[in-house]
Amino acid sequence: MRESTIMFLHYVTAILIVITGLIHLLANNDPVIGATIKANPVLYLGNMAIFLAALLYHAFNGVRVILIEMVPDRCWTKWISWAILIVGIVTYAVGLQVLMVALGFA
Amino acid sequence: MEAESEFKEYYAKNMRGISGWFKARVYTIERWLYAAHRITGILIVLFVLAHFYSTGWHPGLWWDALLGIIVTFHTANGIRLILAELGFAVGKPLLIKKPSQRPVSIEGVQRYVVVFALVLFVVLAAIWAYYALVVQPMMG
Amino acid sequence: MASEEAKEYVLPPEVLEETMKASEELWKPVRKIKFRIYKYNPRKDYAPYWEEHELEVSRGMTVLDALLIIKGEADHSLGLRYSCRMGLCGSCAMMINGKQMLACQTRVLEAAGSGDVVELRPLDNFPVERDLAADFTSFFEKHRAVKPWIIRNDDVELNNPTGPYKQTVDEYARYYQFTDCIKCGACLSACPTAATDYEYLGPQALAQAYRYIVDTRDNGLDVRISVVDTEHGCWRCHFAASCSDVCPRGVDPAQGIQLLKKLLIKRKFGFKPHKPAEALPAKVKAEKKG
Repeated sequence: MRESTIMFLHYVTAILIVITGLIHLLANNDPVIGATIKANPVLYLGNMAIFLAALLYHAFNGVRVILIEMVPDRCWTKWISWAILIVGIVTYAVGLQVLMVALGFA
Repeated sequence: MEAESEFKEYYAKNMRGISGWFKARVYTIERWLYAAHRITGILIVLFVLAHFYSTGWHPGLWWDALLGIIVTFHTANGIRLILAELGFAVGKPLLIKKPSQRPVSIEGVQRYVVVFALVLFVVLAAIWAYYALVVQPMMG
Repeated sequence: MASEEAKEYVLPPEVLEETMKASEELWKPVRKIKFRIYKYNPRKDYAPYWEEHELEVSRGMTVLDALLIIKGEADHSLGLRYSCRMGLCGSCAMMINGKQMLACQTRVLEAAGSGDVVELRPLDNFPVERDLAADFTSFFEKHRAVKPWIIRNDDVELNNPTGPYKQTVDEYARYYQFTDCIKCGACLSACPTAATDYEYLGPQALAQAYRYIVDTRDNGLDVRISVVDTEHGCWRCHFAASCSDVCPRGVDPAQGIQLLKKLLIKRKFGFKPHKPAEALPAKVKAEKKG
């Protein structure tokens, strides 16, 4: 993937995080709106799935950017990118499973 | 002998290293925002990992308000950065320059965007603090 | 003939006196300033050391003037690079009290402010050549890497030019600002990313890449994208805007990099910046013989 694609997704996920993160915060902290969101488990889980994916992409890509600025060697850059990608996918899979168990979908 | 050559190389390269990221004193406010954005980003990643590890963990009351400051700063400044890095609010290249021309990208519309981001940060942080300090203890 | 027509213009005596007075005022020593100068020769010295010189400075004296006086009178071994003394060649950029400035454009009293110490160091994030002179090899390599020349595909026209390429003032205004770059290195030195990332192309090279990409005569976007759109290309800029802050020529590289990013994102959605300009038929044609 070209760097511009990666960074464009970085910005898209940033906007997604603001929207889905707001829903996530309201669901857990606001007594009135939170009740309506939690009453609809599909919305809640769907929101969490998108939020988790966007957050993990944004966070791990941010870490990757900082790391490749710290270690600019070309060889290291490649390894850092792959390692971050694998760690990110594993975290997403585990996180999704935890969510589904907690909400009684699996 | 080895150590001596490394020592010499360090001074000959004259790289500032990571301290260069945070050398903001003599530059414009954008440099402070850049440093703060990076620090808050790292702190949020650390929080998120803890939040996953013991699911739903958050630090509690006043620490929650501090977390709010960190997250809302990253959000507000992030909105400014998305605007700037996608080429909005940085002005157009000039055809005519004054003798001591100051850059348009930091002294044009960007000034207002910075102020907007800072105001947004304060407002969001206040709302978050209200929820963390008032609403959350009531919910139990 | 010339001596009769050309009247010798003499200033009125009161104006002359005033001018002389102002000039005297400008060059009269007013304050004693201490210069802390970084001394280091990487081929000889184990570590850098500082040298201090005191100098009576006048209001009009620039840092470069002071350095030349120090070099002439106190320390002949002082190494520095300078050429034009008027902010056009970009040789004398250095850290003056911790900020990248041209020594020839900064007056000593302006740099000292209310204090009486001026600290001079070579540019940060550049290898030290000697004392105040930095090594620009990698900087120029990065500039060369973005292919800073007009790239065209019409070989026939290039080999047998029929006229100048078409360009309106609006099209010229898109890139004129970036052509003022004097390659002094201040922007790369101020960049926080360059403090650790030595592979990063830097504000200067990226602004020049943008300057050639938006030039309507140019057709080299696809060639330059493989250089600019990489891990150490324009996406490592996070808009700290220090490059624009220190630029002595108002080139505003930060703006160029953000516009370059905008162009790359637009290109993802199928946008082409421009068609390469056509050649206008030449207005003055060689007269036919016979």
